[in-house]
Amino acid sequence: MSTRRKSLTIACVTALTAFGIAACGGDSGGGGGEASGGGKGGDINVTMTSFPDYIDPQLSYTLEGWEVMYNVYTPLLTYKHAKGEAGTEVVPALAKALPEVSADGKTYKLTLRPNMKYSDGTPIKASDFTYAIQRLFKADSGGSVFYEPIVGASEYAEGKADTIAGIKTDDATGDITISLTEPNGTFDGLLALAFAAPVPPTTPLDKDATPKPPPSSGPFMITNVEAPQTMTMERNPNFQTVKDAGATEVADAGVDKITITQNKSNSAQVTGVQQNTIDFMVDPPDADRLAEVKAKFSDRFRMEDSINTYYFWMNTQTAPFNDLKVRQAVNYAIDPEALNRVFGGRLHPTQQILPPGMPGYEEYKLYPGPDMAKAKALLAEANPADKDITVWTDDEPDRKRIGEYYHDVLTQLGFNATLKVIAGDVYFTTIGNQSTPDLDTGFSDWFQDFPHPDDFFRPLLNGASILPTNGNNFSRVSIPELDAKMDKLLEQQLTDDVKKQYAELDKAYMEQAVWAPYGNEEFTTFLSERMDFDKSYHHLLFNQDYSSFALK
Amino acid sequence: MGGLIGEVEAPGEPPLPVGVPAEELRGSSPWRLAWMRLRRDRMALAFGVLFVLIVLVCLAAPLWADHVAHTGPNQNHITDKVIRDGQETYVVAPDGTPLGPGLHGQFLLGADQNGRDVMVRLLYGGRTSIFIGVIAALVTTVFAVLVGLVCGYYRGWIDAVLSRALEVVWAFPVLLLGIALGTTLSLGGLKIGSLVVAGDSLWIPILIIGFVYVPYMARPIRGEILALREKEFVEAAVAQGKGPIRIMVSELLPNVASTIIVFFTLNIANNMLLESSLSFLGAGVRPPNASWGTMIADGYQTIYTAPHLTIVPGLMIVLTVLALNVFGDGLRDALDPRAKIRLEH
Repeated sequence: MSTRRKSLTIACVTALTAFGIAACGGDSGGGGGEASGGGKGGDINVTMTSFPDYIDPQLSYTLEGWEVMYNVYTPLLTYKHAKGEAGTEVVPALAKALPEVSADGKTYKLTLRPNMKYSDGTPIKASDFTYAIQRLFKADSGGSVFYEPIVGASEYAEGKADTIAGIKTDDATGDITISLTEPNGTFDGLLALAFAAPVPPTTPLDKDATPKPPPSSGPFMITNVEAPQTMTMERNPNFQTVKDAGATEVADAGVDKITITQNKSNSAQVTGVQQNTIDFMVDPPDADRLAEVKAKFSDRFRMEDSINTYYFWMNTQTAPFNDLKVRQAVNYAIDPEALNRVFGGRLHPTQQILPPGMPGYEEYKLYPGPDMAKAKALLAEANPADKDITVWTDDEPDRKRIGEYYHDVLTQLGFNATLKVIAGDVYFTTIGNQSTPDLDTGFSDWFQDFPHPDDFFRPLLNGASILPTNGNNFSRVSIPELDAKMDKLLEQQLTDDVKKQYAELDKAYMEQAVWAPYGNEEFTTFLSERMDFDKSYHHLLFNQDYSSFALK
Repeated sequence: MGGLIGEVEAPGEPPLPVGVPAEELRGSSPWRLAWMRLRRDRMALAFGVLFVLIVLVCLAAPLWADHVAHTGPNQNHITDKVIRDGQETYVVAPDGTPLGPGLHGQFLLGADQNGRDVMVRLLYGGRTSIFIGVIAALVTTVFAVLVGLVCGYYRGWIDAVLSRALEVVWAFPVLLLGIALGTTLSLGGLKIGSLVVAGDSLWIPILIIGFVYVPYMARPIRGEILALREKEFVEAAVAQGKGPIRIMVSELLPNVASTIIVFFTLNIANNMLLESSLSFLGAGVRPPNASWGTMIADGYQTIYTAPHLTIVPGLMIVLTVLALNVFGDGLRDALDPRAKIRLEH
């Protein structure tokens, strides 16, 4: 998902990538997942620099949003509530067990646990899963691309069918059968995302539900949203029905109420946590405060691993970035070390798509530099007729600085660049909307949705991901032979050979210079003195696990 | 020794300069009399000179950038090194800490987090802020005078319509209106017929600021014109067969000139403050361009570790606005000491 923090090499998550056509059924049996929650209750305050893009499980696709969704909307399967690599394990949630997968890898069977209720008392039904998947397509979710392999999904999306033929549900028994057009090595992981979390049919099918979010099926429910300023999460009074149904892997809430507020001043947030008026700040302290926080508050501050890539996208379908030489010139001109300093030294410099810790990552460097002379020479060769470009970034302080740096680099290369800085909470929806004018190039980032390299290619670089709205293929990349390779790899288990092929895919895209990647970010946890620092942990996929928050 | 002031004062006219020999006053034009009064107001003159100095220093920004700092206002030097105390030092350290101020041509006021020379940005920022202040004041003045003259002269339905329109604008707090317009226009720019202004153009904050202050200047001018309209000299002009436009331009306008001049001066100061506020809130000057407002916005994020990044541009705004206000007050006293011209909002 787009937006925000974290990074650093995580020793291979490979072994945990238990995806693939061989994924077999059976009860997870709990496995002793770290029991989050169970705190003494109480109210806490959380701040974020940018409000979530949507408060809607099918639409939200930013880290800020997923951080909230993870503990509000429970899918059939979920990622274990545990820190580190353990958190990348898929376990049953609303479903009784992991899916039974047919021998050909195309049919998934699950059964919903009985007698569960949403926060408003509405029973959770098997057909609510179908409704959630339908919403993905009707509301133009950026996550819909992942679920296209479901039989009949494309026809439904195009309006040629009234329902998705590949999903059969029985509300009486709770049985859910999903048929895929091809085997899909990531499908377990996809069922564990909030995109696929059941919602009641009273939720608008084709509209953003942010003003009135659907009732919850997780430990917290959303009781107030005043986007983009504030929102409130409170304990879900009906969550016990989910627990009673046997969903032991879904963590309970450790506090009674979380008030989330948008605060554009990172420095004020740091001071707030220092003075205990803010209990947790989502964003890492800015470079100028980081050293002070590290030195003075080591008992409630730590660096956190994360798997992400920061990059500049370039619209490959319009001039001047439809010219390979222009895109290569940008890659030569960018200095990842300069950008590392903007992050206060929290960035691991890179020039490739897959981040360290992601299966398939193999370090390489196609554009050694920064080499401004080489960049200018390439640009002179390309001699683009159109040098008027718009550079996009958002208004979070570090993003703004990144945008200003990039603007300066492009100006030095001879472009007549205009910098557009827009609010962080609408940034990705704005640049993901094809009707927005002047989408030439700009800032972006990507945090893993699930520990499979396909997550860094399909939503970001596959031709099918060029969507009218909520798209994530900002470079509008469509290279049919690489799309085909991507599809072929997805059908296979993540063996060493497949990982090698993903590494080759990474290189093949960067030979086309579809992005100008520059770093992988390290995240932080900084809590107030009131909070139980040892209990709270950073989840590798969803940033901070809000169910782990507890007061001392 | 001639008689002192007051001896040749005419009823209804501004008081004459104090302490000036009567023979010197005789035959002097109102402008000369005003200059005499202003000359004796040392405080106003000192601040007027200060404003001129600030303008001159800011105008010299390219000279400083090219010959002293050797860098432009938007040029990043994040990984560059400079010599400090005989040692090579990064402009921005690996942990992101920017270079502090020092007695060197380059980075005299240090660097910001993008490794840009703060002194160069301060000078260019001053140019931007003053340019916007002055041009927006001109925009306000042109429209306010036009509306004030037309409303005050024609009265009736024209006055009613235009006055209501002014009241609509007046009804919105200046800052809120500025933010609303600035945020909207910054994305798509301004397109009115063949007039197209890009979203990042300096003309966007100029037009916004110029527009929002029109009612504040137009209403008092209208009031004065309404009063002047009843005077005998206007009736005489009508009797002589002069047309409305001629009467407005040659009879009425000169009589409100002093008001306009004072308003114009005070308006520059207000415009600079509004520009800074809008830029601070992200609805004024577009990054990476520098203005004192954008510099404060950039600097306040680092106020704990590098307070000078906020304080220096803030101080420049205070000095410039103070200079303009004191000078404007002096000018008002010189042109018409009995006037109560004040730009309130």
